[in-house]
Amino acid sequence: MQNIYFPLDWFFITLIFFSGAYCMIVSKNIIKLLIGFEIISKASIIAIITSGYLISNINLAQSIIIVMILVEAVVIATGLALVVKSYRINKTIDITKLSNMKG
Amino acid sequence: MVIDLLSYSLIPMFSSLALPFFAKKNIRIAIILANVALLSGFINISYLIINSITKPDIIPIIDPLTVFLIFTIYTVALAISFFSTYYGIEKEANPISYYSLILLSVSAMTSLVMVRDLFSLYLFVEILAVCSFALITSDIKSNSIEAAIKYFFLTFPASILIILGISLVLASQKALDFEIISVSTNIMTMIGLSFVIIGFLIKSGVVPFHFWTLDVYQGASSPISAYLAGIITKIGGIYAIIKISIIMKYYPVETISSILLFTSILTILIGAFGAIAQKDMKRMLAYSSISQMGYILAGVSTFSSTGIIAAVFHLFNHATFKTVLFLNSACIEKQTGTTNMTELKGLEKKMPITSWTSIIASMSTAGIPPLSGFWSKILVIIALWQVGYIKSAIIAIIASIITLGYFVLMQRKVFFGKLAEKLTEIKEVESPLLLPVIIMSLMIILAGIYVTYIYSYLEKIM
Repeated sequence: MQNIYFPLDWFFITLIFFSGAYCMIVSKNIIKLLIGFEIISKASIIAIITSGYLISNINLAQSIIIVMILVEAVVIATGLALVVKSYRINKTIDITKLSNMKG
Repeated sequence: MVIDLLSYSLIPMFSSLALPFFAKKNIRIAIILANVALLSGFINISYLIINSITKPDIIPIIDPLTVFLIFTIYTVALAISFFSTYYGIEKEANPISYYSLILLSVSAMTSLVMVRDLFSLYLFVEILAVCSFALITSDIKSNSIEAAIKYFFLTFPASILIILGISLVLASQKALDFEIISVSTNIMTMIGLSFVIIGFLIKSGVVPFHFWTLDVYQGASSPISAYLAGIITKIGGIYAIIKISIIMKYYPVETISSILLFTSILTILIGAFGAIAQKDMKRMLAYSSISQMGYILAGVSTFSSTGIIAAVFHLFNHATFKTVLFLNSACIEKQTGTTNMTELKGLEKKMPITSWTSIIASMSTAGIPPLSGFWSKILVIIALWQVGYIKSAIIAIIASIITLGYFVLMQRKVFFGKLAEKLTEIKEVESPLLLPVIIMSLMIILAGIYVTYIYSYLEKIM
């Protein structure tokens, strides 16, 4: 009986993933890119919890996503720190303006 | 996790946590603590590995691949840490956070090679990525921040791909342990592991995704680029692919094998041709690093035991010779203030030891017979030939000749010829800066001479 929701869940996971990916592709603002990254990582968290539900071992999935949320917080903090440092140096948060290095 | 080797991970971790408190007043304590922690680990692991090579009956090897990679990690990290001590890293970065991050990344890497399930693999890769961000941006220049942003927006979406793959593996196998995954083959697990492999391919910087490696290696401070190119991107990307290919030995791997082979050949060729045209020495070395990454991947793509042995051996060789080359470029940058090859000429008379170690390392990269790079490259080519990828083997040989070409070109531009007029005041760097370079060059020569011992050791990893 558990199996019937699995394809539907993955339909929504794909939808969330691609909306986040679309956000990351079209936007030029680095903050918006980070928001898109957050959305696709939410899709991956839902994927893990769905798999845990499918194998009826929700404890494993929950412990995994708690660690993932922790990792994600650290990653986003790193990203925001990069944005702040980049803004101090380049006075812009437009990612297309960052093209000093060519070779 | 391999419990017997846990101290190699815990001691750097506790040292890195304690270092900011002890070194608040005096920076020398930070330097001493970092170097002593890495040196003790290096001596221990060399004792273990030498004993298990010379007396295999008395001391059984716990996990040959893990021990070998921990040895590689400690070698490079000790060289970088010792080099940074005398390089004057405090002009470019905060020394306390720098040494702390070096120790923390060593801890993350040793944990990464010890893990036995997929999720822990992901976790330590993320820790390593965050550490490497902090290391890249510890430099004050603006170039490194731009490189770091490019790296950020490629590596973390790749992590999401890895997590999606892990969730598919979890749904089909009910567990994530390597032993369980490796015995019960399943098509959904196969798809999940392919996702994981693609994620790690993006992280390791193979050809469609190689732009960030160039910017990062060129933009970061020189010892940090040596550390990143030598070991961090290799352990954080290609090691995971090697590990997964060892897991997948009972799987039907033809499709993944052909994808990996195509990517690796493309990587070898674009790395080699890109390196010819470069004017900046560090950017050229970055292209060369990409090309060598292709050789490692070509070894993995065969999924045979010879190929995987070749890949691990080439990973070790790459760690030694690329570290030597990047540290040489750091020495040149310290003495002359530039790494632009058009401004450098005839440095051989002024910096003879740098010149000779550079010759040894670049000849090893190109695969000249007595040196260690030759043996790992010939193993990769033999492995490709054995499974029937004959055209790819021939392309790998030709690319090796191109490698020789651009290194000779670099050597001629930078070291040989008449001395440029601006550079008459240049002196050789101080002897402590030459020590890690000389020791690693000796390791290249010795690994080339005693290759039979290393091969018989690496045969046990399968």
